[in-house]
Amino acid sequence: MTDSLHNSRIRKWFASSPPVAWGIRQLRELLIGALKQGPIPQHVAFVMDGNRRFARNHHIETVEGHSLGFEALARILEVCYKTGVKVVTIYAFSIENFKRSKREVDALMHMAKVKLEQLSEHGALLDRYGASIRVLGNRDLVKPDVLQAIDKAVSLTAHNKRAILNVCFPYTSRDEIASAVRHTVESYSVPLSSMQSPSKRSFSETHITQHIRQQMLNTVPEDVEPTSRSTSPAESKDLNSANDANSTATSSTAATSVEKDGSITSGRNFLDPETITAETLNDNMLTAGAPPLDLLVRTSGVMRLSDFMLWQAHEKTSIVFLDCMWPEFDLWHFLPVLVEWQWQRKKLQEEDRSWNKTD
Amino acid sequence: MAATGVTSREQIAFRRGNLDGRPLSPKEREQMLKPFLPPEPESTKGSPKAQKQKQQKRSSRLIKHTLHVLIHAVISFIFSVFFRFRRSWRHVKSKVSSYIWHHHRTPEFIQRDVKHLNKLPHHLSVVLDYHEGDDDQGDAGLEGLVKNLREVAAWTASAGIPFLSVYERTGKLKNYIQQTHSAISGELEAFFGPRRKPTLSVRAPHIRSYSPPLTPPSRATSPDPTETKDERQHLTVLLLSAEDGRDTMVDLTKTLSDMAQSGTLRPDQIDTNLIDAELREAVSTDPELLILFSPVVQLKGYPPWQLRLTEIFHVPDNKGVNYQVFLRALCNFAKAEMRVGR
Repeated sequence: MTDSLHNSRIRKWFASSPPVAWGIRQLRELLIGALKQGPIPQHVAFVMDGNRRFARNHHIETVEGHSLGFEALARILEVCYKTGVKVVTIYAFSIENFKRSKREVDALMHMAKVKLEQLSEHGALLDRYGASIRVLGNRDLVKPDVLQAIDKAVSLTAHNKRAILNVCFPYTSRDEIASAVRHTVESYSVPLSSMQSPSKRSFSETHITQHIRQQMLNTVPEDVEPTSRSTSPAESKDLNSANDANSTATSSTAATSVEKDGSITSGRNFLDPETITAETLNDNMLTAGAPPLDLLVRTSGVMRLSDFMLWQAHEKTSIVFLDCMWPEFDLWHFLPVLVEWQWQRKKLQEEDRSWNKTD
Repeated sequence: MAATGVTSREQIAFRRGNLDGRPLSPKEREQMLKPFLPPEPESTKGSPKAQKQKQQKRSSRLIKHTLHVLIHAVISFIFSVFFRFRRSWRHVKSKVSSYIWHHHRTPEFIQRDVKHLNKLPHHLSVVLDYHEGDDDQGDAGLEGLVKNLREVAAWTASAGIPFLSVYERTGKLKNYIQQTHSAISGELEAFFGPRRKPTLSVRAPHIRSYSPPLTPPSRATSPDPTETKDERQHLTVLLLSAEDGRDTMVDLTKTLSDMAQSGTLRPDQIDTNLIDAELREAVSTDPELLILFSPVVQLKGYPPWQLRLTEIFHVPDNKGVNYQVFLRALCNFAKAEMRVGR
C-alpha cells in the first residue's frame, strides 16, 4: 500500500526517521505559532471530499481511503485548534451517503464508532485541548450502537468550552433547515401559558386574568376554579365554531384534536409569528450559538456545497475550493488558504476604515 | 504525507491500533501521544521554586513569541507579494484571452464556442454587483448594473440557455422590471437582429411576469416558413435579491406558524419536500450553474435553499463581468460529473 502511495520509498523513510520527523514537527509548531499572530477565523468548516477518488487513484481499498481521510482530519484539527479556531465543523456523512454500497456505509459507521470509543477512553487528554464534540445530524438514521458511542463521547466532553468540534453525521443542510423551521413552528404553536413555568414567579397569570375578568364582567360565575386554564364553556364553544370556519374540511380533525387536549385556549395566548426573524431560525439551526462561519474549505476540486452549511455559508463566508484530495490535505495546503484569508480580512478592514473616514 | 512529522512507528500504531503485533492499551496510547499534546492548562498556585521555573518559562515564551511575530511578518510579506503578482498575472491572462475569445456581439460566435460542450445548464444563475462608487468605470450605479445584465442575458440566449436568474443583493432592478425588459430586449435585438430575436420575459418573485403581448403574435403570424419551422427561442430572466433568501424563509416560517396556531397544520407535516415545493413556487428552482464575477467566492446572501447541488464557478482575482468567465464556467460545467451522494 505504501509503495503505491509514494514512488520514492527512500524519501518516505527519510521523512519518517525520528530526527527528521522531530525537525518537521518543530517547524510545524513554529508555523502554527506564526499563523496565530494574525486574525484567525473563528469558525471553519470542511467538506472532506476525495477519500474515494484518492483510493481509486492509488489502487487501495475505499475503506482504506476513508481511514487515511481520518488521519488527515486529525492532522488538520490539530492545526486548527493550535492556531485558535473556536469551532470546526466537518461534513462526515451525508444523508445522501446512505445510497452508497452497504459495505462502505457499514465500514464508515464502524469507523465512527471505533474512533469515538477510543476517544472516550482518553477523557483527560481531551480536556487538555479543551474541545467538546457535538454531533449534528438526524439521529433517527443512526444505528443504536453508534448512537451510544456518540452520546458517550459527547457527554464526556460537554464541559469543555475552549473549542468545539461539530461532526455532521447523517446531515444535510436542507434537513437541518427544515427541522429548524419545524422547531420554530412547534415553539410558536405552543400556547404561552404552558411554556412558562409557574413556579418561577409568585404571581399566577390565570389568577390575574380571573381577577380582571371579574372586575370587568359581572356575568362571569364566581365559582370558576382558579387553577384551570380553560375558559368558560361558552367561550370555548365560540372558539370551536371560529376554528371550524377558518379551517378547511380536511384539517378540521386536526384542529379539534388539539382542542381536546385543551392546549388552545384563545388566539392571544400564542407568540406572535411576526416576531420570527432570521435570528430565530438561526437559533434553531444545529450550529446555534457558534460564531458565524468564516471559512469553508472543500477539497477534491468539486465546486459545489453539496447540501452542506447552506444556511450558514451563504452570506459572508469565504468559500475555498481546493484541488487536492482530502487524505492529502495537510498544513501545507491549509497554510496558503489561511494566509490568503488573513490577507483578505486585512484588506476588508482597511476598506472599512477608509469608508468610515470618507463618511 | 512526507512532512507530517510522524514517525513510521507512530503511524502504524495510529492506523492499525496496535504495535508490534499486539493491541495498544489506552495507557500506552496516551504515552505515545505525549509529545504531540498542547501544554497543560496553567495552574495558579506554586512554591518559590515553581515560580522561578515559571519565570524561565515566561522568558522562553517571550523569545518564542517574538520569533512567531517575525515569521508571521515574513510569511505575510511573501504571500502579499505573491498574491499581488498572481493577480496581475491573472489580469494579463484574462486580457489576452479576451482578445482570443471574443463574441463580437454575434450569437454565431458564441454558439461556435459552446457547440462542443456536451451539456448546458437549463437554469443558469449569475451574481451581479451594484457598485455605488464612481471608481468602477462603466459599471457604477444602476446603469452599469443594467449594462452587465444586458450582456449576460444576450450571451445566455446566444448559448441557448432558456432560463437565467440574476442575483443582485439590493434588489434595485426589481423596481424597474419594464425598463429592464426593454434594455435586455434591445440588446437581444442587437445580437440577433429584429427577426431572429428571442422572445423574452422578465420577472421577479411575487411580481407578475412581464412579457409584452407583442412578441408571441408576431411569431404566430410570421409569414416566413423557415422561421415558423424552428420556433423562436425564449429567454426567461428572473431577478433575485437578498430578501428572497433568509427573509423568504422567515416569511414561510411565519405562515407555517400561523397555520399551526390555527390548527390547519401539524408541525410534523413540515419536511424538506414541503419547503422545497413552496420555495420552488415562490422563488425559483435550483440553478445548475452559478457564475460569480467576483474575485472570491462569497455568496452575499444568495438564496440558500436553492444552492444545494449548484455548481459554483468563479475565476480567482477576476474583476467585472466579462465573456471569458461566462464561457469558462460553461466549459467547466460540461466537464463536471454530477454525483448525488454516490
